[in-house]
Amino acid sequence: MTRRILLVFAALVIIAIGLAFYALQLRRKVARDEQLAAQQQIAIAPPANGPSTPVTLYVASDNNGALTKTEMNAVLPAERSERDRSILRGLLELYLQPQTSHPIGAGADIRDVYVMGDDTAIVDTNSAFADAHPSGVLAEELTVASIVTTLNANDARIAKVKILVNGQERETLAGHADLRRFYLASNVGQATKDVP
Amino acid sequence: MSLFRRTSRRYLVVLAVAAVIATAFVQRHLVVHAQPSEPSQLTVYSPQTTYSVPVLEKNGQPYVGLVELLEPLGTVDARPDGKKYKLRYTPPGGKPREAQFTEGKDKGKLAGNGYKLPGNFILQSGRGYIPLAVVPDVMLRLATLEVEYHPASRRLFAGNPPERFTLELRKDTTSRLFISFPAAVNPSISTEAGHVHFTFRREPVIPAGADSVKFSDPLITGATFSEQAGVAELDVLGTAPLMANFADGGKTIIVAAAPAPPPPVAQAPEPSAQAPSNVPVPAPPPQKPSTPRFLVLIDPAHGGTDVGAAITPSLAEKDIVLALARRVQRELANRGIAASLLRNSDVALSLDQRAVAVNAARPALYVALHAANTGRGVHVFTSLLPAANLSRQDFLPWDTAQSAFIDLSGSVAGSVAAELEARKMPYTTLVAPLRPLNNVAAPAIAIEIAPATDKVEEIASASYEEQVAQSIAAGIAAIRGKLPEVRP
Repeated sequence: MTRRILLVFAALVIIAIGLAFYALQLRRKVARDEQLAAQQQIAIAPPANGPSTPVTLYVASDNNGALTKTEMNAVLPAERSERDRSILRGLLELYLQPQTSHPIGAGADIRDVYVMGDDTAIVDTNSAFADAHPSGVLAEELTVASIVTTLNANDARIAKVKILVNGQERETLAGHADLRRFYLASNVGQATKDVP
Repeated sequence: MSLFRRTSRRYLVVLAVAAVIATAFVQRHLVVHAQPSEPSQLTVYSPQTTYSVPVLEKNGQPYVGLVELLEPLGTVDARPDGKKYKLRYTPPGGKPREAQFTEGKDKGKLAGNGYKLPGNFILQSGRGYIPLAVVPDVMLRLATLEVEYHPASRRLFAGNPPERFTLELRKDTTSRLFISFPAAVNPSISTEAGHVHFTFRREPVIPAGADSVKFSDPLITGATFSEQAGVAELDVLGTAPLMANFADGGKTIIVAAAPAPPPPVAQAPEPSAQAPSNVPVPAPPPQKPSTPRFLVLIDPAHGGTDVGAAITPSLAEKDIVLALARRVQRELANRGIAASLLRNSDVALSLDQRAVAVNAARPALYVALHAANTGRGVHVFTSLLPAANLSRQDFLPWDTAQSAFIDLSGSVAGSVAAELEARKMPYTTLVAPLRPLNNVAAPAIAIEIAPATDKVEEIASASYEEQVAQSIAAGIAAIRGKLPEVRP
């Protein structure tokens, strides 16, 4: 009887230790995956050569709740989705400057832009873009509107835009702006006051 | 043999300890998403409203937030200052009274007098917590309300005594139990074999007599009242299936035998040849149409674990908007407009849950409240959806239900903006891609308050919130005539 109890306990202990080891391995795997994902977020755009092209950015301002149209010249990649991505990265760069009128979370970046069916753009942002974005209806709306309007201004065929975070659909940007829907460029134009 | 036994015992003890440690380790690392336990709550019944306050276990005893406790009853201005916490409570039409406590100390001041708490005062994220045990005393001294407290069930009756109901068993042709209340009640009712169970979540009811009553009746044999976790329950026992009916405008519930189920169709007798074929079937009594009413549903955004924007390290959006919602409700009431809150405590609701609750309530107007430290003043939003020429009587698409109401929503936003303008408050009117606004089948606006000046803390000041609340209420009152009333 005593031996039987001993055997059962020993078996239980072995199973428990095995499970603990398995749990430890799972934790390590999750940590590795997260590290890998973070590394993948810092994707580098291919170097662009060639003549500079006029670019239109719609820059948000929290102070007046408006988008300001800003013209500049930049050397852009020839490929359409890479070109759109470079423009949006330039837009986010402005928001990451210390003196910006529309701050967003540090480390925010555009992972990719996918153009589908000629008129639809899927903008894949990194985790920092959403996780560290200031929370608020106005702040989030301005970010979404400036992305959609800027894309449409530089690539007039883009009529619909969807924003993903780390390749995944998310309910809201930072608790407010709806990210489940496709935004119509024609509709978003009315979302903000356009300051020329 | 005895040596073997002693050795075995030692092994057993060692192995048992190892198993416990290993199991604890596995639980610690393997359970990633543990379900949070159901938070306990204190239910407060006051003449103005019934509300629940979360009860938190801190330092080994239950605590409640001072602001959460007092805010539904009047105006609260709470200011944490370092380790000190000052609170001013003003009852409607009354004089303000103050409380002052210090974090980690059990001594403080209450309504001008020294006061000793049975545990240390806790200040966490700018919110002050007091032991639950002193809540009746605090309500009496600060809110000047007579209270009756049932500690086991955490039900607190403030201002008015509990409403006592009576049980009367009448034996006519059949036995019926009359449960009579001083005011109309609306409990949730469940029936099962030989039981009718009533759950009272909002009614301050207790029995006029004993908690448990037995009847010498072949049908209804007894009734048992119990209170637990902030709700009251009444269980009526019977020997046959029972059913409950309301009478006297909801003041009386009559429990009687449930009608026998209809005989199976196959066994139904053939119509008798003698039976007159032209006997008119009695028509059901005409349903009295419900009266249209004008209800504003106010939705303080976020709540629970969803704190919303962190306005300052100690000021969360969820708390600011709840306080603002209560002010708007009071201001609307002052203008004769009925309003209710989608959440009246610190609870989490998903966007879909909010939309479902709004559409089920069929309000004349939905107002979502947000707060942020981005921008200046008040931002008034309507949905970004384009207007659609849809009949409001039809089924509406879930994702674009608001399209049918965009014009009315715009009128409300314009009216509120005009009131903000009249009060010289900075404001912006915009459209926004905001849920659950898009899913609401009623005129709907969202209002986001931001600080009017560089002082971010002013967003939570009583005077600023009062000005915003008055503007919203006045804007709604001005447009009321143009908004259709809705049948509930």
